[in-house]
Amino acid sequence: MRPQRTWLRRITIASSLVLGAVVWQVAGQFASDAFWAPLSATLASLVGVAKSGVLLRQALSSFELYLAGLAVAVAVGALLGMLLARVGWLRVALEDYIMMLYATPMVALIPFILSIMGFGFAPKVLVVFLFAVFPMLYNTIEGARSVRPELVEVARSFHSGEWRLWCDVMIPHTLPFMMTGLRQAIARGLVGMVAAEFFLSPSGLGQMIMMGSQNFDTAGMLAAILLIVLLGVGLMDLGRWLERRFAPWRAYQP
Amino acid sequence: MSEAGAGALQATSRRRRLAIDSPVVLKAIAGVLLLALWEGVVRAWAPAYVARPTGIARVFAAVITDPQFVAAAGATLGAVALGLTISLVAGTAVGFAMGRIAPVEWSLRYYVNSLFATPMVAILPLLALWFGYNGDTRLAVVVFASFFSIAINAADGARSVPAEFLEVARAFRARPLGMLFEVIVPASLPYLIAGLRLGAGRALVGAVVAEYFVSIPGLGYYILYNSRTFRHDEAFVGVLVLVTTGVGFEAITRWLTRRFLPWHRRT
Repeated sequence: MRPQRTWLRRITIASSLVLGAVVWQVAGQFASDAFWAPLSATLASLVGVAKSGVLLRQALSSFELYLAGLAVAVAVGALLGMLLARVGWLRVALEDYIMMLYATPMVALIPFILSIMGFGFAPKVLVVFLFAVFPMLYNTIEGARSVRPELVEVARSFHSGEWRLWCDVMIPHTLPFMMTGLRQAIARGLVGMVAAEFFLSPSGLGQMIMMGSQNFDTAGMLAAILLIVLLGVGLMDLGRWLERRFAPWRAYQP
Repeated sequence: MSEAGAGALQATSRRRRLAIDSPVVLKAIAGVLLLALWEGVVRAWAPAYVARPTGIARVFAAVITDPQFVAAAGATLGAVALGLTISLVAGTAVGFAMGRIAPVEWSLRYYVNSLFATPMVAILPLLALWFGYNGDTRLAVVVFASFFSIAINAADGARSVPAEFLEVARAFRARPLGMLFEVIVPASLPYLIAGLRLGAGRALVGAVVAEYFVSIPGLGYYILYNSRTFRHDEAFVGVLVLVTTGVGFEAITRWLTRRFLPWHRRT
């Protein structure tokens, strides 16, 4: 790229971001308080909750929920996926049902979870888990299906034990797909986290958004939304980084 | 059905001497066992109101012919279809502009990427404030949920059009519109389908979540209302309709890819 073009690019990006901030600010001054708050008020509200310690407490609560659900989902998805990767008949038996659950909007199960398990931490972890586990499982199985049977046969004919077979054939071939699954699980888990905090017992960043909207504290609501947007961007970058790091030949494909 | 699966299956059945030689039979047996497991677990440990296969089968016909249920399903799926259409047209336009015109890409990239990464549930209260507690909010959520995945994929697709295609088109003095519809659209079709597939799944989630939040008639609200009044079997029929829709989208996009883009193996 020519240096002139690089400068043009930087200036365009910077001015678009400044323009966005100005529009946010001006819209906030002209619109009714109930609909939109100026950027300055939003940032002031953010500083306020940060200073009072509310932000830290709510963010930690969200984080705890998210990590618990995601960790269980990744562990279960990877282990079950690996099992299905090796046991062919079990995979053939179950893969269509797993595909079905992968395509199911898991939000539809939230009312059942609420009515059976009630309030508390466990039902919310279950929601995050359900959102995150199927992408992990589905992609691991896709990876296992992509391992060509010839490779396994060659390994077998050279007297590979189960352990060597895993190290040299199964894991290297399945890992890239698992990383795609992890990226999707990271993103879906975040949706599950906010949905659980909204529709089960309110807590964390979701509760901050809810309270802002119920108290007509638009600045407070926008501050919490802004945080979630930044969190989403950060987590998505993390997911793509993991995918590139472990599977550079399969870099981000939607 | 994959060759790998079939190969493994043959090997296994030879070894185990079980006469399960057809994957269809194996899948059917697995399905029956899963349903039996569900039924057994609920009967043994769960309260009586919890949904179970026999209960769902008992109410299925009555629910599916209930005019109220049909209206609810129509409202939700109609909103999803309309919202997806809006997103497809607008998202493709924005995406193509981003993919082909550098300044547009530079100025929109951060906004489109960050809104794509945003869980749409988080924006729900804001959209409810803007559009009111009615169907407009649901439509807005559906559009918001699907627009960015379609735009991002359309941009990737437009960017990936080989330069030679454009040169040839230019050499034959193609007009801008001809260039768009005869070169850029066909060349980026796999990306458009991938974006639509991703967007459709998100749109369905968006519609259900919006109905929970603003309490308007629809499948999501039907599920919420019936499970609150402990009629889980009825509510689960709503879930089944959503599952069928989700799987249907997936099947349609796969079929489209295989039928029209056989050279494009995986999206």
